[in-house]
Amino acid sequence: MVMESPNRKVLGGLLLLLALLPQMTRAGAGREAIASPREAGTRIRFEADIRPILASKCWNCHGPDEKTREGDLRLDGRDEAAHVLQADGEGPAVLIDRITASDPAERMPPPTSKKPLTEQEVHLLQQWVAEGAPFQAHWAFQPPQRVVPPAVQRASSVRNPIDRFVVQRLEAAALAPSPPAARETLIRRVSLDLTGLPPTTAEVNAFLADRSENAYERLVDRLLQSPRYGEHMAVPWLDAARYADTDGYQNDRYRYMHVWRDWVVMALNANMPYDQFLIEQIAGDMLPGATLMQQIATGFCRNHRINSEDGSIPREWHVENVVDRVDTLGTAILGLTVGCARCHDHKYDPLTTKEYYQLFAYFNNVPEWGVGPNNGNSPPFVKVPDSWPHLTDAENVAQVPEPLKLRRARKEKGNGLQRPQPGNDKTVMVMQEMETPRRTYRLVRGQFDSPDQSEVLVPNVPQALGAFLNEPPHNRLELARWLVDRRHPLTARVAVNRMWQQFFGVGLVKTSENFGVQGELPSHPALLDWLAVELMERGWDVKSLQKLILMSSTYRQSSQATPAAYEADPENRLLARGPRFRMHPFVLRDAMLATGNLLVGTIGGAPAKPYMPPRIWRAISNNTYQQDTGAQLYRRSLYTFWRRTIPPPNMVNFNSAEREVCVVRKDRTNTPLQALTLMNNITFVEASRCLAERMMTHSEETAEAIEFGFQVLVARKPTPGEAELLRAAYESFRQEFDQDPDRAADLLSVGESPRNEALEPIRYAAMTMVASLMMNLDEAITKE
Amino acid sequence: MTATHHVRIDRRGFLQNTGIGFGGMALANLLADPSQGAPRRPHFTPQAKHVIYLHMIGAPSQLDLFEEKPELVKRHNEPCPEEITKGRDFAFIGKTSTLAGSPWKFARHGECGHTFSELLPELAGVADEVAFLHALHTEEINHAPAQMFLHSGFGRGGRPSFGSWVTYGLGSENEDLPGYVVLLSGPAGGAGTSLWSTGFLPSVYQGIQFRSQGDPVLFLSSPPGYTRGRRRRELDALAKLNGQQSEATGDPEIETRIQQYEMAFRMQASVPELMNIEGETKETLALYGASAGKGSFANNCLLARRLVERGVRLVELYDSGWDHHGGLEKRLPQKCRETDRPIAALIKDLKRRNLLQDTLIVWGSEFGRTPLRQGGNSNDQGLSGRDHHKDAYTMWLAGGGVRGGASYGRTDDFGMDIAEQGVHVHDLNATILHLLGMDHERLTYRYQGREFRLTDVHGRVVREVLV
Repeated sequence: MVMESPNRKVLGGLLLLLALLPQMTRAGAGREAIASPREAGTRIRFEADIRPILASKCWNCHGPDEKTREGDLRLDGRDEAAHVLQADGEGPAVLIDRITASDPAERMPPPTSKKPLTEQEVHLLQQWVAEGAPFQAHWAFQPPQRVVPPAVQRASSVRNPIDRFVVQRLEAAALAPSPPAARETLIRRVSLDLTGLPPTTAEVNAFLADRSENAYERLVDRLLQSPRYGEHMAVPWLDAARYADTDGYQNDRYRYMHVWRDWVVMALNANMPYDQFLIEQIAGDMLPGATLMQQIATGFCRNHRINSEDGSIPREWHVENVVDRVDTLGTAILGLTVGCARCHDHKYDPLTTKEYYQLFAYFNNVPEWGVGPNNGNSPPFVKVPDSWPHLTDAENVAQVPEPLKLRRARKEKGNGLQRPQPGNDKTVMVMQEMETPRRTYRLVRGQFDSPDQSEVLVPNVPQALGAFLNEPPHNRLELARWLVDRRHPLTARVAVNRMWQQFFGVGLVKTSENFGVQGELPSHPALLDWLAVELMERGWDVKSLQKLILMSSTYRQSSQATPAAYEADPENRLLARGPRFRMHPFVLRDAMLATGNLLVGTIGGAPAKPYMPPRIWRAISNNTYQQDTGAQLYRRSLYTFWRRTIPPPNMVNFNSAEREVCVVRKDRTNTPLQALTLMNNITFVEASRCLAERMMTHSEETAEAIEFGFQVLVARKPTPGEAELLRAAYESFRQEFDQDPDRAADLLSVGESPRNEALEPIRYAAMTMVASLMMNLDEAITKE
Repeated sequence: MTATHHVRIDRRGFLQNTGIGFGGMALANLLADPSQGAPRRPHFTPQAKHVIYLHMIGAPSQLDLFEEKPELVKRHNEPCPEEITKGRDFAFIGKTSTLAGSPWKFARHGECGHTFSELLPELAGVADEVAFLHALHTEEINHAPAQMFLHSGFGRGGRPSFGSWVTYGLGSENEDLPGYVVLLSGPAGGAGTSLWSTGFLPSVYQGIQFRSQGDPVLFLSSPPGYTRGRRRRELDALAKLNGQQSEATGDPEIETRIQQYEMAFRMQASVPELMNIEGETKETLALYGASAGKGSFANNCLLARRLVERGVRLVELYDSGWDHHGGLEKRLPQKCRETDRPIAALIKDLKRRNLLQDTLIVWGSEFGRTPLRQGGNSNDQGLSGRDHHKDAYTMWLAGGGVRGGASYGRTDDFGMDIAEQGVHVHDLNATILHLLGMDHERLTYRYQGREFRLTDVHGRVVREVLV
């Protein structure tokens, strides 16, 4: 009986502790870690010291939302709060009295809010009021300004301007950057970052042999030109775009959007400027003389889930479609939680409900139906020529989608639900603008059946973001152009921040989904702005900006540090070392397929259905998963069929986004399910067997074979100690299989690819276990 | 900030150097990171330590199980009065549908006098353990959104499930098993795995599905050719190599990974042991109607007891096949036959093992069914089916902290609307959290700049059914 053993209990507790540690260390760093501590006797900094208090403790009742405002008091801006904060009035004293009152009836915030001020917060507010209660406009709503990179003492650590910002911050904290990473580490890091694949041993050797000045730069250039680049870089965008192969919700039936996914890969490989990348996806259909390619790009706006459950109310789910487009625009491009304003004025950011529905109006004019066809694409869709993606000029012309045709789903009975005609696998969903736009109203409390018909809303962008405009963008195309206006405060910052997040594990703004008032302040505000301006001034040239980041000393630092350094800055916000974190689940699978020489490099096309545990779809419905055979089993993970309600478990176990809604940031956990997946999942076991084959074919000497396999996985040679441990493990496995040869054959039978009959089974099986052991090394699954 | 980190190091050192037995909760308390404000201890003394959530996917008809409506029976097959349907949306039926009384007999049971139809004789036998909420209501009229609403307080997905909130709030008490386990009999229903997903909470709090066929936990079994001894030796070598790497890089994540592999190794033994019910007595197996090797609801009820016994905090059972738009007269009795005995057995078995006092059982579904008939034709005198109904339905609670025999809420003579004492799904969730020792207004998680709650900005603890 498990519970009776006290020792196991302690151990269990310890494991729980360890299971929780990453959450706490990584999530717990909080605001304090980034904002450098305010020195005693210095003045209050509104952004860092005061706004967070006001926002979390006061604004719910004294902020921008009119509906919940109490006592006609606003504390969210200088003008709004003037009457209580003017230094010569009685206001300030009253304010301090209220927050320090001992009488619960007087005390602010009231006890019912369950958000009491801490003593420290009261002190800060007192000092702030004493200093005249200065307000500051929220940084992210001001356009980024070109900043001059600061001068630093440690000039030897500077390769490009990025390093100046980083080193300055380190020097202020009396820290020094780490030395450069070993060259083996660096080529593995940058290969994983740009292509999602580890370098081959030949590539590692060539790089190590190349002692020329610009060897690294040429490496970066080569990787940026690799067709693997677009596949790898597409993944975060597919997560943000909630791309999937099914509709989601109850029935979760098939849709066909892989042509849009291919468009993304091609656009990234071609280094399409980011402004164009956005314009085409939001409004490619409205461009003058639009091509079919540009029309297909707008699939971005159609990737939301579509409900097709019998008994649904089409009006209701049509609203959900549009809401999803607006919310995705908010999270993926603006870095704002605009969705909050669907039901009430935003509690923290300057965004009213009316403004939310004015954004809604841009996306509300698609000739669509709120309920899907229950298998197949939902109108509007266009036919994809067989020649895709090699379109002729004649083919590459935007099409007029076939008009919506409704039919009754049930002839006599029921509520008469109507469904649209389905598009087959030769079609792709696109955006289309109705000739007469739908009327858009504010929906009271966000309810589809409560439009406020007193006012028809015209499309417009939130005043706080669009103040630089003379007149509002009138339609979706103008909206897209507004997003990439040089004066836009958010688009470029959000984009460079996501690049940074991808390379370093955490963005300069940690909350990459929220640059609003409740988001985290940037760790390096000046660097963020400098990069944003740089991106725009380089004509939104993504590869060039990425190269700049990757060429910096900051990126090239070693990730080895003392435990104390990891303790002091667990998320590496100060960037005193290089990035080190477990790989993305797609990279993990692709890397292991590559090390086993199993990876199939075909780009694009219909989704693949690799190995899945039997009957797994049965948990949801009677649809069965028809597993592919042959090459389709070994395609890159971005091509894996994505069923929203039951995504591939070997990906989900490693924190992949579920693709239900837009996601731009996921936590990285460390769980026993991950260990089980890597040890036992057929993909990884088969890859181990194939790696073992490579090892044994490389050398008949055990030690050499193991050294080779180790290098394939982590790009460096094992230390003598490591080599000896692995050799000893191999010997013990071999001896065991000697006693038990049938089991050796069993192990070698895992996976569809044929085993190498020329290899002696006992040694082959033992080597397979060694390969699996090495694949489970922390180093093998970590970018470092 | 530096101070906080020192505290954490001390905690770690402390734990590594002491051999006293902490329960997981105490440990979790110890770990509470003040900078994160994450609740890890109950806000007050909990009355229940475990939850077994029995979700009948598809929505059982409360009007044929618990709600006796003589008026409805009397007016069976009459057109529905317009004032009753005014302002309501139904999923399938039109507003001209006829009233549909229950064809089954009802009787009062136990000292409390709860009403049950003849379809639930076994549950009626433990009537005094059960507290009814007869006027529950929700917001969604379709399965997937309503299921998400019930479990996450939001009908569109992306939010943490109830179980994740609880695991996040309280941590885990067991040592070799996940804290939040899901068991299915039949398909999970429309919302799929999102019903036990963590949403924006860290994914360590996700529910783990234990399966009756194949690997009980996905990827649990070692590949063919491995033995437990061989796996052990592999992990020993792995731990040494990872340990060296940990020293070289300084990243504490590696130490965590080593421990996760140990946990995985122990799960490879503990989970199959748990899932194997052959060691249960014949009497117990008969009590539930369970038999080894089946993926039945009865087996799952027995497994739920075994999980709770081992300290698992939260067990969710999803049983499908309750969406009776048609054929209700045949299919509902069938579903009742499959579930009535196991549920009653679960209550009795927990009670005799002194586990019921610590275990909250929740029975219910995403919504109820209409008093209006669906399907059939005007000549048809039978019931045929009932449509989705979100405005008034029944769920029940039993066990830890629940006042058995209590009843709260009443619907009108037709069962269409709440007559008094309505309970919203948010109220239900607030109540369950309360029983677990948590204030639903204080169990929050900051995401996208906002403090989120399971109950959004709503929820009232239904103290009327508590001890």
